[in-house]
Amino acid sequence: MNIPPNPQWFAAEAAQRPGLLGALGIDWRLLLLQGAAFLLLVWFLGRFVYPVLIKAIDERQKSLESASAAAAAAEAQAARAEAAADKTLQEARRQAEDIIQTAHHEALAMQEAAEAKAKKRAEFIARQTGEQLEQTVLAARRHLLGEVRQLVAEATEKLVGQKMNSTADRRLIEQALKQSEERR
Amino acid sequence: MQLIANLISFAQTPPPVSLPAEPVWQWAGLPFTNSMTLGLAGYGLVVWLFLAVARGVKRGSRGRVVLATQWLFEILLGNIEQVVGSRKLARRLAPLAITLFFFIMINYWLSVLPVVGPVTWGGVPLFRSLAADLNVTFALAIISMVAAQLYAIKTHGFFANGGRYFKNPFKDLIGAFEGILEFIAEFSRLTALSLRLFGNVFAGEVLLGMVGFMSGWLAPLSLPFFMVFELFIGAVQAYVFFMLTVVFVSLGTVSHSRQPHTGKRREFKKTAATG
Repeated sequence: MNIPPNPQWFAAEAAQRPGLLGALGIDWRLLLLQGAAFLLLVWFLGRFVYPVLIKAIDERQKSLESASAAAAAAEAQAARAEAAADKTLQEARRQAEDIIQTAHHEALAMQEAAEAKAKKRAEFIARQTGEQLEQTVLAARRHLLGEVRQLVAEATEKLVGQKMNSTADRRLIEQALKQSEERR
Repeated sequence: MQLIANLISFAQTPPPVSLPAEPVWQWAGLPFTNSMTLGLAGYGLVVWLFLAVARGVKRGSRGRVVLATQWLFEILLGNIEQVVGSRKLARRLAPLAITLFFFIMINYWLSVLPVVGPVTWGGVPLFRSLAADLNVTFALAIISMVAAQLYAIKTHGFFANGGRYFKNPFKDLIGAFEGILEFIAEFSRLTALSLRLFGNVFAGEVLLGMVGFMSGWLAPLSLPFFMVFELFIGAVQAYVFFMLTVVFVSLGTVSHSRQPHTGKRREFKKTAATG
């Protein structure tokens, strides 16, 4: 195997080339050629490639910005909608409370009216029932009185042993009543 | 199996260590170096990648390569906008800076291929990373610094930009000295930019060669770790070159008041210059 070049080898090689730049391998023709080649590459890429990439970046950035703006607008709109919803909700709550209050008052009024009406009706029914009861009692009394009269007549008939007609009957009854009143 | 065979072959070959890129053949007195052979593949890959991505983006394709490249492109563009602080300037600077990133990264990654080193042509390695050629790294650094100066001149004007470096020593002695330092710093930035990239790629190639050579038949086990590490380093170096270019342009285009500079900006400039 060969031994790698040592510092003496470098010195020997440098001695073969004129000057420091020559020792470093710098050749002005090659330097200019390399510079020109690189500038040509820069021109080519700057003319045909980078505009495409920069345009793509700009478009993406623009779309990001527009998306960001749209997101901000949507956020603002959402905030506005939320505020409007809150306001509507509060209004609805207020209206609901009003409705509840009104309903409560109306219900109370209806209840009071119903109570008054029921009371009135009950009084009417009670009065009517009382009147009917009185009439029933009177009718019963009348019926009873008639039956009593009938019974008295039959009893008297058996007691006096004579046929009772209306004239005799009346006479005897009046006599009995008179005695009764006298006894009292 | 082929990969393992390549790795073993890679391990059996002593690491080719040559600081300059070596000519493989010549055409009209102009050498065609081994870095240019792999560089052609690098150029082809960059062009193919971006054409495929552009076609994919036009079609609305959601392929992994398209999405990954687009994602990276968008990140880099965002970085440029953040650093220069101007969307318009960022869009104008993007072709140069982003091409630098992808070009350097892809060429760096090509240096990890096992064909780099063992495949020879007339005793000279046929393939060498394009970024391991000082002609290329110097060319890229010069383009980067010239672009920074052009943007600065366009922003402030030719004389106002020159006023950053050349001040009347009778009116502002410290400012004049500071201007000279600033002028020297521009060259040091250029040199640092090119040598940093060259050094990393070159060292990476030498590291892979040495690890493969030293581990012998165990190279298929040891090399993949270093190769993955080199891929990572390649991405980092490409990003460093890209970011420094953007920072240099940004420093040239910011307003330079006549009041003494103090505070963070001066510190930032010094850091960028030495970074």
